[in-house]
Amino acid sequence: MSTQVTAVPRREAAGEQPTHPPTPGTGRRRAAARRALTAYALLVPAFVVFVVVMLVPIAKAAQVSLYQWSPFPGGESTWVGAANYTRALHDDQFRLGVVNALVYMVITVPGQILLGLVVALLLESRLPARPLFRVLFYLPVVTSWVVVSLLFRYLFVTDGGLVNWVLVDGLHVVDHPVAWLDSRWSAIGAMSALGIWKGVGWAAIILLAGLTGVPAEHHEAAAVDGAGYLRRVWHVTLPALRGQLVFVTVLLVIGGFQVFIQSLLMTNGGPAGQTEMPLTYLYKQAFKYLDFGYGSALAMVMTVLVLVLSVGQTILANRRAA
Amino acid sequence: MSVQTRRYRRTRTVARLVVLSAGAALLIVPFLYMVSTSFKPNSLVFEWPPKFIPHPATLANYVQAWGANDFARYFGNSVLVACASTLATTLLAALAAYAFARFRFPGRSLLFWVLMLGLMVPSVVILIPQYLVATWLHLNNSLSGLVVFYIGAGVALNTFLLRGFFASVATELDEAMEVDGAGPMRRFVALYLPLSRPALATSAVFSFLAAWDEYSWAVTSINDPAKYTLPIAIAQFQGQHATSWGLVFAASVIAMIPVLVVYALAQRHIVTGLQAGALKS
Amino acid sequence: MLRVLTRRRLLAGAAAVAASVVLAGCGGSGKAGSQPSAQLSGTITFWHAYSADSQEVKTLNDVIIPGFKKLHPGVDVKQVAIPYDQLHQKLITSAAGGEVPDVLRSDIAWVSELAKLGLLEPLDAAMPDFRTLADSTFPGSLATNKYKGKYYGLPLDTNTRVLMYSQAALDKAGVSAPPKTFDEVKALGDKLAGTGVSAFADNGLSGWNVLPWIWSAGGDITDADYTKATGHLNSAASVAGVQLLFDLYSKKELPGIILGGTGGTSTSDGLATAKYATILDGPWMYPIFASSHPDFKLQVGPMPAGPGGSISVVGGEDVTVFRQSKNKPLALEFTRYLLSQEAQLAMAKVGQMSVLKDLDVTSVNPTYGPFVAQLKSAKPRPPVSNWPKIDDLLQKKLQGAFQGQLTVQQALDQAAAEIDPLLAQG
Repeated sequence: MSTQVTAVPRREAAGEQPTHPPTPGTGRRRAAARRALTAYALLVPAFVVFVVVMLVPIAKAAQVSLYQWSPFPGGESTWVGAANYTRALHDDQFRLGVVNALVYMVITVPGQILLGLVVALLLESRLPARPLFRVLFYLPVVTSWVVVSLLFRYLFVTDGGLVNWVLVDGLHVVDHPVAWLDSRWSAIGAMSALGIWKGVGWAAIILLAGLTGVPAEHHEAAAVDGAGYLRRVWHVTLPALRGQLVFVTVLLVIGGFQVFIQSLLMTNGGPAGQTEMPLTYLYKQAFKYLDFGYGSALAMVMTVLVLVLSVGQTILANRRAA
Repeated sequence: MSVQTRRYRRTRTVARLVVLSAGAALLIVPFLYMVSTSFKPNSLVFEWPPKFIPHPATLANYVQAWGANDFARYFGNSVLVACASTLATTLLAALAAYAFARFRFPGRSLLFWVLMLGLMVPSVVILIPQYLVATWLHLNNSLSGLVVFYIGAGVALNTFLLRGFFASVATELDEAMEVDGAGPMRRFVALYLPLSRPALATSAVFSFLAAWDEYSWAVTSINDPAKYTLPIAIAQFQGQHATSWGLVFAASVIAMIPVLVVYALAQRHIVTGLQAGALKS
Repeated sequence: MLRVLTRRRLLAGAAAVAASVVLAGCGGSGKAGSQPSAQLSGTITFWHAYSADSQEVKTLNDVIIPGFKKLHPGVDVKQVAIPYDQLHQKLITSAAGGEVPDVLRSDIAWVSELAKLGLLEPLDAAMPDFRTLADSTFPGSLATNKYKGKYYGLPLDTNTRVLMYSQAALDKAGVSAPPKTFDEVKALGDKLAGTGVSAFADNGLSGWNVLPWIWSAGGDITDADYTKATGHLNSAASVAGVQLLFDLYSKKELPGIILGGTGGTSTSDGLATAKYATILDGPWMYPIFASSHPDFKLQVGPMPAGPGGSISVVGGEDVTVFRQSKNKPLALEFTRYLLSQEAQLAMAKVGQMSVLKDLDVTSVNPTYGPFVAQLKSAKPRPPVSNWPKIDDLLQKKLQGAFQGQLTVQQALDQAAAEIDPLLAQG
């Protein structure tokens, strides 16, 4: 096979399969069946562990959501049917949390992807001290959530916080300190800053791994064709990164919805419960009030929301590929 | 190369360095604060405004953290658990990702979304059911039990990650090998694995970090202090009313070293990507 | 010949058993540790949340457990340290899976919850000397163990909130001594108006925060049997207690952190920097202030008195034994030992205030004095299993009042109405 330069495009994850050597008649069906069996065999190890560790407990949680559950010895569980779900759908505090999580997601997901992409692109080609930079950008990812949440809380403190100091004394953008953590939207903004800060490195290393697979010839060919850097990124790099971008987006959306420790430590749901997140609310129901049935129902509702978003994103991404 | 192109390249490089340095500086400030506090004696609260140079500086926190309560053993436990989980998760996820990426079979989409479900359900509500399963299978209070649970929790994300990479391997290569008579496993080992080294390295980095940092399940499942892992050890330094932050940070810095080592080792594989090589015969 | 010997052996054996039973029964005063007994053997597990490398855990490992083992050779106590933030969750999960410790150092707020779940052994039935032990402890601390008429634990260590003040801030008001009554608090507020210094600061509106004020005003959350809130929580006295705080807040003499937001200056930082004149806090603040504000001289006084007296809220931990324990005799004996004077004194040396009324802990640590005095009248938060929900409800309603959505009376009326059914659930 001769080396080709620009004529071999990258394949998408969506539906592209290798074409198999031709087999006559019924041999085709048998070959297909054999391939399917091979596929199942490949899936078995992962799925066995997954079913035991994750799926069975998830099914149990789904079952629990239909009860007023007491898991304790001698405790009684009473069937309530859909009562937990109707309660969840009318729960104002839960709805508030969902809205907060959505806003948090809308800010942090594009933020992390964009900045992660920028970092990945900057680190793509050769550069002095590149290994050092790669480690530095990864540091926030491995620093403990507890530590950074508390640190960010102190950053955003009204009197004496670094952010206010910069805004008031440094840049003179505002007259007096902003009470970041004392009102709903500014607190969510501060939490989002933390989320983006922590996740940029994570997104960057996935996209970087994807970028290394984009052949240099593509860029050179496009450059020869007269495309500027940004145009090349848009037309060559991004399509090649589609698989990784979908992955990053779906995971960041899931993660954004399940925001927990930052909310707990930065604002503790305050002031007056305004920055409550779905997961902190759920945790309270399950482990503080011991209302496991309701907690499970809330979790199922959250899962459905995230599932819809994720499936939607994947379909959109695949449609654009076709 | 013309002088102009060279100058253009150099300006570009300098610009990139400036931007990256500014970004890196912003990102590592909290880490620097952590490190500097770990060298300060006896700090019970977060100082504000932060003093980055510890004065006086002391190693006492590190000595105390390492010497406290079997810390070295917890470190060892974490190493065992994380290494085993990483190897197993990456292997199982790679096999599954290969199936999803390159095979057509009934239920493919359904099975994939079932796997994704594992990522979407908040772990808090499955904690008690998982504990019941673990009790039933005698997987509680043991390091090998932890490994099994970490694998189960990690296959979904890593399969998803690797599937994307496997799917982007050029199909012509696969077809060529099949024409040459190579079976699916041979193609997997000889073609997909080598070509996906960046992806596998990334997957290994994530699995290691996830297993190394995992706290909630470990503290729930393990009752024997001899089997505690590092995150539990670090959390134990936090008191009910006051926390010795210098001690916590020293312990956290010690804990971060293996993760960074794994990352640094993996980086070589992530970036020495395969470029034109993928398309040559 | 053989038969005679055997019978004599049998009689001798029975006598020995009888004697040791009698001896063990006599030994149950709370003072001395306990008699060495041939019956106790085996191992028990003791779950606690003392932080790693702390003085408390060192005392447990180097003083308390060895002391217990010396009294009972051949037994062992396996202590399991669990990070404080996870202890409750782990307890619930483990109990659901049937895995429980023998003895637990439990937050006082969890005892009724665990008791309701049927997990705890009623100590008043299991320990013949329970009355003696119980009477030696502070009544407020003891009351945290009572659930539906039975006692499911004994106090282990205790604390309470007292008034902490900043002389520098008081000077700004021209006042030389901290406020000792409600009226003096109000007067302090008026004197400090406009100076930028708050008369009092607190960081929430939950039971822990407001109950001292409600009780000192002569009110209460519920009746004495914890069955009804209406008529108590919304009584004139209770309203007056909360109203005091509310009035300070509306006149800007109480900072906004009362609503629970985390952006403002914390109570400790504010006190040390003379931004807040007074706060209510516990004995753990001494080492914290020493570390974070070494130049600040911490001074304390009693909870300001209202028409109901000077009544603060009890905190601390209880020791409980689990019903599913496989070695209950040893577990109960260890519990007894933890309440002995030696054990209590050893812990008092490292910051754990003793629950024994008559133990002189001020010789160990003079700063305990004001807390011990306050503990004589301090009351516990209602030991009902639904307390977390009730607490959150109360806080939410009061937050509504402070945010101007309702009056204090309305907030307490509504809270009481919603708390009644929760109390009925026990």
